[in-house]
Amino acid sequence: MAANVAKIIQAAKKNGQRTLSEYDSKRIIAAYGIPVSRERLVGTLAEAKDAAKRIKYPVVLKGCSADAAHKTEKGLVVVGLDGQKALSDAFATIKKRAGKSYDGNYLVQEMVKGQREIMLGMTRDAQFGPSVMFGLGGIFTEILQDVAFRVAPIRKRDAKQMLGEIRGHRILDAVRGMKAVETSILVDAIVALGKIGLDHPEISEIDINPLIIRGDKPVAVDALVVLGE
Amino acid sequence: MTSIMRKLFEPRSVAVIGASSTPGKPGNVLLKNIRDNGFPGKVYGVNPRGGEIEGYPIFKTIDELPDNIDQAIITLPAQYNPATVRACGAKGIEALVLAASGFAEVDHMGGELQDDLAAAIAESGVRVLGPNTTGHVSMPASFTSSFFPLGQVPRGRISYITQTGNFSGISLRHIMSAENYGVARVAGLGNKIDIDESEILEYLGDDPETAAILLYLENIKHPNRFMEVAAKVTREKPVILLKGGSSDAGAQAALAHTASLASDDRILDGALAQAGVTRIYKYSHLFQIAKALAVMPVPAGNRVSFLSPSGAFTVCMTDFSRSQGLDVPPIAENTRKRLQSLAPPFIRMRNPVDIYGSVGAHGYEHAYGDAMDAVLSDKAIDAVVVIMMLTGESGIPDYDFIVDLARKHPKKPIYVTFMGDHVHNVACKAYLEPRGVPAYMLVEEPFEVLGVLARCRAALHRPR
Repeated sequence: MAANVAKIIQAAKKNGQRTLSEYDSKRIIAAYGIPVSRERLVGTLAEAKDAAKRIKYPVVLKGCSADAAHKTEKGLVVVGLDGQKALSDAFATIKKRAGKSYDGNYLVQEMVKGQREIMLGMTRDAQFGPSVMFGLGGIFTEILQDVAFRVAPIRKRDAKQMLGEIRGHRILDAVRGMKAVETSILVDAIVALGKIGLDHPEISEIDINPLIIRGDKPVAVDALVVLGE
Repeated sequence: MTSIMRKLFEPRSVAVIGASSTPGKPGNVLLKNIRDNGFPGKVYGVNPRGGEIEGYPIFKTIDELPDNIDQAIITLPAQYNPATVRACGAKGIEALVLAASGFAEVDHMGGELQDDLAAAIAESGVRVLGPNTTGHVSMPASFTSSFFPLGQVPRGRISYITQTGNFSGISLRHIMSAENYGVARVAGLGNKIDIDESEILEYLGDDPETAAILLYLENIKHPNRFMEVAAKVTREKPVILLKGGSSDAGAQAALAHTASLASDDRILDGALAQAGVTRIYKYSHLFQIAKALAVMPVPAGNRVSFLSPSGAFTVCMTDFSRSQGLDVPPIAENTRKRLQSLAPPFIRMRNPVDIYGSVGAHGYEHAYGDAMDAVLSDKAIDAVVVIMMLTGESGIPDYDFIVDLARKHPKKPIYVTFMGDHVHNVACKAYLEPRGVPAYMLVEEPFEVLGVLARCRAALHRPR
């Protein structure tokens, strides 16, 4: 596991990358047991169609490269593709928006549905070292700043406490007809992020936002790993 | 490590470098403080004029001092500190307290001076508290290095670690004049050039004289070390921290005050929770919480009952309790019946206890006393707050019944607070506190304290 992760990091460093692609970022967190959306990395439309058939429609198509950290701002994400026609259109759109110089790939991803979005992150504090953040996700992360931190290594008990610390913690409860979130998955993910921070000093930051709650289970649908100097 | 802490907090002999015969000068006030606190060890001074000051022998140079001195307190101006530190090191004095300000907390020049000082400390192998500190206090050793006029400091079981010179000075004077509890050890850290909060926290954790530790810090010098020590100590004793500089503006002020650089406050918050440190946000809580811990146990939980002769208080203080993380739970039926038997039938007794009608029917002592005994005996209640409304017209009760109830229920905290004639409130506080019942002048204060201590209790008993 750690060896695989080290390989991904080494390859990126050799390439001179400061950030990993979404695909590689997710491979790293998935190696530590954090649930991620089912997806395939493809280079061509034909491959994308094949991948979508396996994953099953509806799917999401994203531009996927190491320097496309702000996919949404550039419009390199098209969601809710319900068939081959929609997929082909989205492929052309993204290719055009990405520009002629784009040498990245494309990510075909299952469409994870759920009304609740949360986020997890890892940052390296100058004094405390790797610290893990949990908070409300999606577009509200920056507006509400409703987050809690713990410093690695993190025990399950600390992670559990952390989930109850944010002002909006009731988002994890059974509310408005939605199921209570299976918090043990989040607890394990928090512990795992702390472990990644301790295992891999080259990683300076991890941003998993959002994790969408599908039914009662959180799934990471976007992730970004940042490497240090 | 322990030996240096012993030399600092339990010295057998001390030297004041910069001893002065001029009243009001630090080197003079310090000698008076040492005398006023009855320090039984040997005391020497150093001043080029020699002779005797405040009855203590004065030597002309450090070199002329007797050998085997445990501790030296240097009250000389900043620029003389590096050379003086070297001289003390050469004399074999290992524990030093440096009072002077004018180092890194001031400007670039001060920063360079602090670098010189750090080099002097490293070369001479001494250990230093400060600089920029009013010093420390150790009442079990009847000793203080403070140069702020203190007089006799009352001894108790509360210890403080503070990153402000204000504490071993004016804050102590506040405690001594406004409150009725004593202190065990007080350490003013100053600029923390050497000895830091982690080292002192570890010492206080093992210190049998210290029952609870309160800290005021503007930064944490070695965060991981601090958390490691705190994680152990917080299972044994209450450890309560006020962190200055938690806002951006506050962090700027901290840089000017003690040259402290801030970490992300939210990360600090998480780290403190992991280490079981109970965080507070008000300077006055450093006293309010201390005086509760000085005489009362830590409450077993967050369930509070309170007695009030005012309907407004039963409402407002229930709201306030909730905001402090406290529960005001229903009481047992037999408790309720006991309360009802004291009250006129038109008042339906419950928790919180509206005591007005009972006082009218049975008088202060009987009504309050029986009702307090009832809620204190209830298994659903962890602590009791008594709101007194004292006026000349209503008559002033004999407060011994409260003292007796505190003795009868030693496992449950009882705090008293007031609304009414200030003169009676002050007299009540002055009577109760020396007898072991803390009293608070403002009605929210006891609830704030209970809220903090309920968190503290959870930290003390957290699973391993």
